[in-house]
Amino acid sequence: MKHQLKRMLSMVLCASLILGVAVFSTGCQNATGKVTVELFQYKPEAVKTFENIAQKFNAEHSDIHLVVSSPNDADTVLKTRLIKDNPPDIIGIGGDINYSNFLDAGMLLNISDYKGLDSIKDAYKKMDKQLELVPQKGVYAMPYAANAAGILYNKKIFQQHGWTIPQTWDELIALCKKIKAAGITPFYYGMKDTWTTLAPWNAIAVDLVNPNICQQVNLGKATFKQAYSEVADKEKELLQYGQKDPFAYSYNDACTAFAKGQAAMFAIGNYAVPQITSVNPDIQLDSFVMPASNDASKNQLNSGNDLQFSVMKSTRHKEACYEVLDFLLKDETVQSYVNEQNAVPCKKGNFKMSSVLDSMQPYIQQGKMVDYQDHHYPSEMSVDALIQTFLLGQSKEVFLTKFDRNWKRYNEDTIAKLQAYEAEHKAAASSSVS
Amino acid sequence: MNTDRSVNRVRRRTNWPITILMIIGCVTIFFPLYMTVIIAFKKPSEMTNDILGALQPPAHWSLSNFSEAMKVTNFGQTLGYSILITLCTVVLSVIIHSLAGYAVGRNMARKKFYKFAYFYMLSGMFVPFAILMMPEVKQAALLHLANWGGVIILYVVFFMPMNMLLYVGYLKNIPMALEEAAYVDGAGVWSTFWHVIFPNMMPMHATVAVLTALSAWNDVMTPLVMMGGSGANTLPLAQLNFQSQFSTNYNLAFASYLLALIPILIFYLICQKQIINGVVNGAIK
Amino acid sequence: MKRQMQSRSIGRKDKTFLAMLLPIMILFFLFNTLPLLQGFAYSFTNFRGFGSYNFVGLRNYVNLFQDDRIGHSYQFTFLVAIVTTIIVNVISLVLAIGLNSKIRFKSTLRGIYFIPAVLGGLVIGYIFNFFFTYILPAFGQAVGSATLSSSFLSNPQLAWIAVVIVVAWQSIAMNTIIYISGLQTVPQDVYEAGALDGATGWKKFKNLTLPLIMPFVTINMVLCMKNFLMVFDQIMSLTKGGPAQSTESISYLIYNNGLGGGQFGYQSANAVIFFVIIVIISLLQLKFLGSKEEQL
Repeated sequence: MKHQLKRMLSMVLCASLILGVAVFSTGCQNATGKVTVELFQYKPEAVKTFENIAQKFNAEHSDIHLVVSSPNDADTVLKTRLIKDNPPDIIGIGGDINYSNFLDAGMLLNISDYKGLDSIKDAYKKMDKQLELVPQKGVYAMPYAANAAGILYNKKIFQQHGWTIPQTWDELIALCKKIKAAGITPFYYGMKDTWTTLAPWNAIAVDLVNPNICQQVNLGKATFKQAYSEVADKEKELLQYGQKDPFAYSYNDACTAFAKGQAAMFAIGNYAVPQITSVNPDIQLDSFVMPASNDASKNQLNSGNDLQFSVMKSTRHKEACYEVLDFLLKDETVQSYVNEQNAVPCKKGNFKMSSVLDSMQPYIQQGKMVDYQDHHYPSEMSVDALIQTFLLGQSKEVFLTKFDRNWKRYNEDTIAKLQAYEAEHKAAASSSVS
Repeated sequence: MNTDRSVNRVRRRTNWPITILMIIGCVTIFFPLYMTVIIAFKKPSEMTNDILGALQPPAHWSLSNFSEAMKVTNFGQTLGYSILITLCTVVLSVIIHSLAGYAVGRNMARKKFYKFAYFYMLSGMFVPFAILMMPEVKQAALLHLANWGGVIILYVVFFMPMNMLLYVGYLKNIPMALEEAAYVDGAGVWSTFWHVIFPNMMPMHATVAVLTALSAWNDVMTPLVMMGGSGANTLPLAQLNFQSQFSTNYNLAFASYLLALIPILIFYLICQKQIINGVVNGAIK
Repeated sequence: MKRQMQSRSIGRKDKTFLAMLLPIMILFFLFNTLPLLQGFAYSFTNFRGFGSYNFVGLRNYVNLFQDDRIGHSYQFTFLVAIVTTIIVNVISLVLAIGLNSKIRFKSTLRGIYFIPAVLGGLVIGYIFNFFFTYILPAFGQAVGSATLSSSFLSNPQLAWIAVVIVVAWQSIAMNTIIYISGLQTVPQDVYEAGALDGATGWKKFKNLTLPLIMPFVTINMVLCMKNFLMVFDQIMSLTKGGPAQSTESISYLIYNNGLGGGQFGYQSANAVIFFVIIVIISLLQLKFLGSKEEQL
């Protein structure tokens, strides 16, 4: 009996030891007089850039300590941090459906009193407004860096053959035919990775579709079947100028092939540049805006917020957060971010950008930019997979009917909320009139 | 006399046809392994997308990818965490799960409660982790277990159903007579377990150790949600470094995978001896 | 007097067994059942994984049965699980017997056959992608087969076969180990006695080996079925559910849409249904195979 007791005791001890060690290892936190602000950002490729920013910030500020977290798989980690009731003070995320969801779940602080917002380009601020599932009062994000998509092309191949940048859809198709006739593959696709089907989709849609289409559909004022009909046709038309079996190759395969000069063009965004140059550092790249209509003046650059900062509602250091945002918006900080990440700055002013964006500069200067359609799509709806299914041979009729049907299923709650909002506001408007 | 010798000869003679078949079968393993190795040695600029280029060995056999991969993953520290978590999980699993298996396996035929306990815990195997994740993380944070200690506890709980299944299955082949002899000698349940049953389950301990170690070693999800962002990383967590949203460095990633493969392979080879030299054949006769 | 002693010792034995089991069960309840119950509660909400949410009653469950994407994922998953379970068990049993027979380089060979279990998801995904995209089509063109000369992974009708191949390739290692350790429990003298009776080859396997390792067949069948019904890693690294959503497994949807997307509540409901189904299947398996064990 004694023997057993000892055994049991030792087991209990063992267990409590493990628990104890585990508890201890989290329990330590240093307490200094400084205010600590944690900035959580989701871009793994920008870890070093942000480490430098934090270092400079901390050297200049004695009262605030800036901590940057850039974990791998940031989406999941951020969600677990929220569940753990341990949210950061500032989050740096993309201007996409995730932002819409965080805002809709009431997690973000209204920063309309933040002065720095005035220096941000209106086009990018408007995009964030359009991302609100239900119209909100106030401002909840500060756009910081954008990316741009269209068509990357191999400058050397273009120069050798004397090809020029097309301004209209017909010119683009004529160019594709010329390239094909020269024995070169016009486009390389990596459509095994479904998300790459969205790159041409978005770039075509910015010229042809109302940027607010998703909200219009939610209000029952439009259907995707009508809105996307031409977009679907055009993406399918471009597909025939790709390599054989485009669905067998991944994004990485496509980057490799394009970098090795196996195709003249690649319908993708400037975010693909690092992967391409890692294979072939000497490649000469430029990009142009996808001309989806036959009216060159209607062309728009497909550009959206790739990184924007929001202050969490739960923060206890709003003023300190604003100081961090001030520092991020300093011209030299913006410029160093733009340099290191090949980004398009959202701040107004003259910043030097990567040469890959040369042919897109006029659009950036004029503010002719429209957000990616897919920033409005719920990720669980897998619109990219629907597009892939269509491109694999499904009829447009079935595809777009399914698009509309699925949209309703995946946005059930949003639609209900938005319609309730509209009804309320209409009622309020009419009652104030009467 | 005569038969004795022929039995001996049967025992000793190498079965060459099977040996050869087994060696040929290795091709299915060696080909992917070859690809992993050459990719781990190549530079990103050597990557091509045609067969011949991809099957070609790298231009230079330099270890720079490996040292770079070690730097990116902070290898020393992450390896430490991986080993710590895996070893603790394995040791605790072997002890706790064999105990559970013994208690359940020896009683479930006569008692409803143990049968219930068996199926109750077995059912835990079929719960998709995704549904548990959010509540689990919340609970762990409340208990201050959102760290490597919590990861170990979760592993011990999650691997229990499968390991218990293995132990219960193995117990069926250990004759009751062994324990009864111990009881007659006046031993209690605990000492019977430790002195008779536990040593006799050696091959199964080794199997359980290998399977548990492997699952713990390769798992990303649990450490990600439990300790993600805390600065402490396990190897699979650190390996996520090689993938960013729009680019993947396969060369460094593969070098890192090869590095991570070695410790677990050594562990397997050690355990394998136990599986083969199991005492069962000798002791139970 | 003697009987009293005996029953007292049995009573004490029972107490000890209970003392062994209860703490473990409590631990299990705390870290498995309790979160499961919470997850179950979420399945009646429109929880996104963060922030505010509402109670929506049985809506998620009703929607599940009308969602053809979910329906397709069940079809696909069961097809893959059943086919792979059979393939894996046959091959790993053959391998285990081969690796357990009197061969040379035994431990080296066993080490080699174990390697697939250790290679990470990214490696396997990349290598097999390469195999299906480049090597198999080249082979197909060489032999002049139209089906083989384009990639399995870009063909919605064939992609599931690629998934089966990859899952099987990786899982065989694990199951072989379990079978090998099962074969260790077969006493050598059984074989020796059998050898004297002239039992060889198939007959020896069927009459001597198989009955003795039947508990391990049960274990492996149950584990395989469970693992393959929950197939996720290989899908992520090989197809990501494509092409044309033809390889979306149940777990893939639960993870991707529940955790990655904003459908936590809905996919919790899916997970609950899925859990119930797997438990039922596994219990049936255990019952059926268990009865085989007892007969022998």
